[in-house]
Amino acid sequence: MQTTHQHAGGGHEHKAAPTVEEITDFEVLEIAVRELAIEHGLFTAEDHRRFTEWAESIGPAAGSRLVAKAWTDPAFKARLLADGTAACKEIGIDWAEPTGFGTPSDYMNFRVLEDTPTLHHVIVCTLCSCYPRPLLGMSPEWYRSTNYRRRLVRWPREVLAEFGLILPPEVEIRVEDSNQKCRFIVLPVRPSGTENWTEEQLAAIVTRDCMIGVALPRPGRTADVHPVHKARHPVHSSPSMRAAE
Amino acid sequence: MSQRSELRQQYEIIGSLQPAIHTPQNWNYEIPSALYRAYMHPPHDVGGQRDVPVHYEEKEEEQWELNTYVTCEVLAWRGVWNAEERRRRADNDLGYTLYLGMPYYGRWIWAAARMLVDKNHISLTELLEKIAEVKSRYEAH
Repeated sequence: MQTTHQHAGGGHEHKAAPTVEEITDFEVLEIAVRELAIEHGLFTAEDHRRFTEWAESIGPAAGSRLVAKAWTDPAFKARLLADGTAACKEIGIDWAEPTGFGTPSDYMNFRVLEDTPTLHHVIVCTLCSCYPRPLLGMSPEWYRSTNYRRRLVRWPREVLAEFGLILPPEVEIRVEDSNQKCRFIVLPVRPSGTENWTEEQLAAIVTRDCMIGVALPRPGRTADVHPVHKARHPVHSSPSMRAAE
Repeated sequence: MSQRSELRQQYEIIGSLQPAIHTPQNWNYEIPSALYRAYMHPPHDVGGQRDVPVHYEEKEEEQWELNTYVTCEVLAWRGVWNAEERRRRADNDLGYTLYLGMPYYGRWIWAAARMLVDKNHISLTELLEKIAEVKSRYEAH
């Protein structure tokens, strides 16, 4: 951060040399709010640490396992479609974590949208960024963007094509608008060429984008490829910005 | 804001944030119903609005962004606010300029700061002093 220093009596100003570790306005505000909240006893550093540990433990691998199990176990799939939250426990995902009543932002109400060869689902949260965090982790930035939220509900075929997913006209597209009361993932159709695959092999092709509905799983496709905007101080890289350590 | 030129630059940026006004607004004795409804439309209700195609890029998460998410959630976990007041009022009910202009987690942390002051958990002076102290701590490197 560039700063100016007024020297007592000197009357001249100069630009301070940029510090080794620059800090942005939001970084300052984040530290200030967190420290004040802890100093005033609104929460403890241990609360913050515990919640961070949970937030860093979630990610799309859980969703991938869920889909792979649903593809290989018809009875599990039936239970999953009937009661998503309960079925998640069978793969070790408890929506009540980390507080005992879930995260304060996410109601424990989860539904799975099953695709068929002629029906494709895709999720959005037009009002903000509601997302099935326990199964997919934190939402990607583009999912929270006004652009995706504005356009997907009106021009889904066009937006999906921009993601590289061009669906034939005979495939119906259903856009599910997530909200604070209900979260969704897409259960894609199991692709051909995966007969006799193990759950682990199947899980590898069920990427985050496939469960949002902006991509389809296929053999050989094991990653979502997008341009990446790098962070200035990414998570874990900057010990002095890290809370409660 | 020690220099006159800096102040002028600041005023120019503020000027560019003002909404484009296509009708005179000096004497708003009455406004048409359609305009009233448009003013009442929540800025975050964007579904179906027009926009241009863009590249959907991934964004690597900043440490402060994860910390912000956790702070907001833990404040709710401990009952200081609830998810609805955070989302619908604090994060979203900011007017178009702030809603569309601030970074995603920028809105979150700003909302948390404002809430702590509004509910008298901290005073505004305390917050400003803390901000100054944190800045000087990091600038002292």
